[in-house]
Amino acid sequence: MLKPILLVEDDARDLELTLVALERSQLANEVIVVRDGAEALDYLNREGAHAERAEGNPAVILLDLKLPKVNGLEVLKTVRATESLKSVPVVMLTSSQTESDVVQSYALGVNAYVVKPVEFQRFVAAIADLGVFWAVLNEPPPGSLRSSRRYE
Amino acid sequence: MTAAPTISDADLASCASEPIRIPGAIQPHGWLVVADALTGRLVAYSRNWPDLLKAPDNEVDAAIHDLLSPIVQTRHTLVDGEGPVSCGPLIAGGRRLHVSGHRLGELTYFELETEAEDAGPRAPIYSLARHLVPLMQRTDSVDALCRLVVNEMKRLTGFGRCLAYRFDAEGHGEVLAEARDADYDAYAGHHFPAADIPSQARELYRINHIRLIPDADYQPVPVRFVDGREPTSLDLSQAALRSVSPVHLQYMRNMGTLASMSVSIIVDGQLWGLVSCHNHAPRHLSWQVRMACEHLGQLLSLQIEAKEENERVSEQLRLRQLTLAIVAHLSDSDATLQRLMAEPGPLLRLGRATGAAVILNDQCWSVGETPAAGALIQLGQWLGNRIDEVDHTDRLATDAPALADALGGAAGLLAISISKLHRHYIVWFRPEIVQTIVWAGDPRKELDNPKGRLHPRLSFASWRQQLGGRSLPWTQGEVHAVQELRQALIGIVLRRAEEMAEVAMELGRVNKELEAFSYTVSHDLRAPMRHIAGFVDLVVEMEGAGLSERSRRYLTHVKEASAHAGQLVDALLDFSRMGRSAIKPVSLNTEHLVDDLIAEHNAQHGAQHSAQHGAQHSALQSPPRSADANGAAREAPIEWTVHRPLPRLWGDPVLLQVAVRNLISNAVKYSRQRHPARITIEPVQNEHGVGLSISDNGVGFQMKYVGKLFGVFQRLHQNEAFEGTGIGLASVRRIVERHGGQVDAWGAPDEGARFTFVLPTREMAAAPSTAPAPPSVDRSSALAALMSSALSAQSPPPRSTDPH
Repeated sequence: MLKPILLVEDDARDLELTLVALERSQLANEVIVVRDGAEALDYLNREGAHAERAEGNPAVILLDLKLPKVNGLEVLKTVRATESLKSVPVVMLTSSQTESDVVQSYALGVNAYVVKPVEFQRFVAAIADLGVFWAVLNEPPPGSLRSSRRYE
Repeated sequence: MTAAPTISDADLASCASEPIRIPGAIQPHGWLVVADALTGRLVAYSRNWPDLLKAPDNEVDAAIHDLLSPIVQTRHTLVDGEGPVSCGPLIAGGRRLHVSGHRLGELTYFELETEAEDAGPRAPIYSLARHLVPLMQRTDSVDALCRLVVNEMKRLTGFGRCLAYRFDAEGHGEVLAEARDADYDAYAGHHFPAADIPSQARELYRINHIRLIPDADYQPVPVRFVDGREPTSLDLSQAALRSVSPVHLQYMRNMGTLASMSVSIIVDGQLWGLVSCHNHAPRHLSWQVRMACEHLGQLLSLQIEAKEENERVSEQLRLRQLTLAIVAHLSDSDATLQRLMAEPGPLLRLGRATGAAVILNDQCWSVGETPAAGALIQLGQWLGNRIDEVDHTDRLATDAPALADALGGAAGLLAISISKLHRHYIVWFRPEIVQTIVWAGDPRKELDNPKGRLHPRLSFASWRQQLGGRSLPWTQGEVHAVQELRQALIGIVLRRAEEMAEVAMELGRVNKELEAFSYTVSHDLRAPMRHIAGFVDLVVEMEGAGLSERSRRYLTHVKEASAHAGQLVDALLDFSRMGRSAIKPVSLNTEHLVDDLIAEHNAQHGAQHSAQHGAQHSALQSPPRSADANGAAREAPIEWTVHRPLPRLWGDPVLLQVAVRNLISNAVKYSRQRHPARITIEPVQNEHGVGLSISDNGVGFQMKYVGKLFGVFQRLHQNEAFEGTGIGLASVRRIVERHGGQVDAWGAPDEGARFTFVLPTREMAAAPSTAPAPPSVDRSSALAALMSSALSAQSPPPRSTDPH
């Protein structure tokens, strides 16, 4: 069974566009949508409203950087610090190009950092690429934190 | 002490260190008596008293005491350390004697000489004052003054030759004026080496202003202490009768002079020169004539002092005016030191120099005759080790032998240092002046003598020396003037630096605010732009078929407008980022970069391309773009010409990719309507570095607008004709300038445009600041590359970077 994609997005319009883009990428994975960082952690840790969900980690987390309650960097930090979650790929999907955000994201072990393109066709293409790469092609060996692209 | 007129080796050996103040003997033309200053008791006397008094040895003491007791009574009027004064006449042994006295410590000295029947005209001092002083005042130069005095001196003394000479900074004497009889050798213009007058002799000339040796063949008369002490413990430095060094007597005999007299010229307390009189035959002068000569020497000294002071003051005035002119010029300008070169007249005149330069670390600006730029930089480094505030030399090649070749003809250097921290100098140059110096005898022989001792000169025949490698020396006034200039410049530079720092701080603050503002605006605008673009796209896609033609057109406008706004926001964001992010330079292969960008262009325009990598050129052609949904005109094919090899550049791969992409899109944009459109990419190289030139055969522009091209939001064409945000070229300039490079543009309406940029090579770029630890460079570059690729969707990060 394919693992789901976890999409963490607070902006309703961005959410809708992202979902359309994922739909067009024709991924078979289920997309789980959560609207803030706290809910994302609940889902990942099977706590709160998500305590009853089935076991297993998502194929990839598409994480918005600016989130209510717990922001993207904090979610990322928690994921990397949690033994059971540390190998889940995380892609920052955001409007922010602030260098410190990028640097911090990489320092915390993000797998990719993607600035949402303005043009819709490009946006669709970027999301499709991400989905295909992280949800389908990428199969990290158990226990490896970041199996693929390393730039240093 | 030996009394022999010829000198032995032992004499010679002792002369160099001979304490000439205490020879223990006097010359035989007078008599010396030394009495205790307190008691008047007889302390010592010369051994020639018995002859004068015709008294037996055991009665001499008493006879002297009797004879001199009236004179000794006057001892209380003598002032310790002052020169001899007349104590009146005295008759002894049937002779009329003149007595002069002086006091030195606890002793009073009385010297007696025969009142000579002077052969020359009598020389009352008042006639000097009456006739000579007005004449002296009317002379306009020191040389003329000296001529006047030697003539007068010769008349007064009746000596055969009388000359005035001045000591230079090294103690060599140069003859300025001469009066002589026909049978005397001419020495005018000759130089006498410093070695002719040892330093202890100079010191005596300074305190004792007149010195007469009536007969160089004399037999010295020893001095006897009443209590039997060694005669050499008697200080005779003020005694006119003091016996002379045998070396000096030999010197006189070698010169053919049996009588000599020297009168000191003292200026500002220093021994400035001498008036020196010579006579072939022995010649004695009375005390009165000697007094007149000493007076004449004083008059001369005072006049020289006054003239030199006048010259000094007027030179100082002239130099100060020049300094003021320089400072005023600089105050009017932006006060950077290289501005001094813009108005070089006063600067050159200030140093009476033929060339001048400003050296600021590794940069220099010069005017007039100076060494080449490279040599000036070397000179700056050399100066760094030796200059504090001011330094000067009139023999640069000797002082800096390693630089001699590079310095060319510059022999004189005057330099001031403007900064304690940096190698900031202003230097003046003077050319070599070959001087012919005529020595009275070859001075090298004195140094060559095999026993390495002081040696009297044997030859006074003229000996010519060519003196090269030297410039005119720098005067004290000039050195002082540039020191003043230095003070003024430091003041200006400091004030200017403070102003600049203030402005820079304010600018930095404003810039930061602007960047923060533009960042916020672009970031916050980005999301709604994306939403508008995205949803309009979806509506057109989903409902397109059901929409009226007009609605569809309107939606197309909305989509295009939002896309344009989005691009604008992205470009703005890029632009504001460029000001902040640190440059991480690597050695960059621009052929790969250009190929990637051309491939990217072709791919984006839906073209397959056939790349032909020729040895020199390759032509990459993209087929015509098919008409898109908006019904835009078919696009012409582009003929790409790449002149290989393209250079490697030292720069930030991400930023340079942005710059080259902007230039290429610019060329594509403005040549789109050509059939065919030709875009040529070539290497360029100039003194600022290496880089690329990108030219097209497009619509071009008028050169009068070239200054506007690189401004933010400056567009030279109407909006409808060419899409774009107006930030591309501004970004290019910002990127290139942040690399320390230069960007240029050429264009002609309807003919095309060429954009060129060059970056400093790795060697030219400042080394220390561009070498952070390699891991951080690579990591940041990779991050930035990824970011850039995300921004521009599918474009690849530059693959052609090499770790350095």
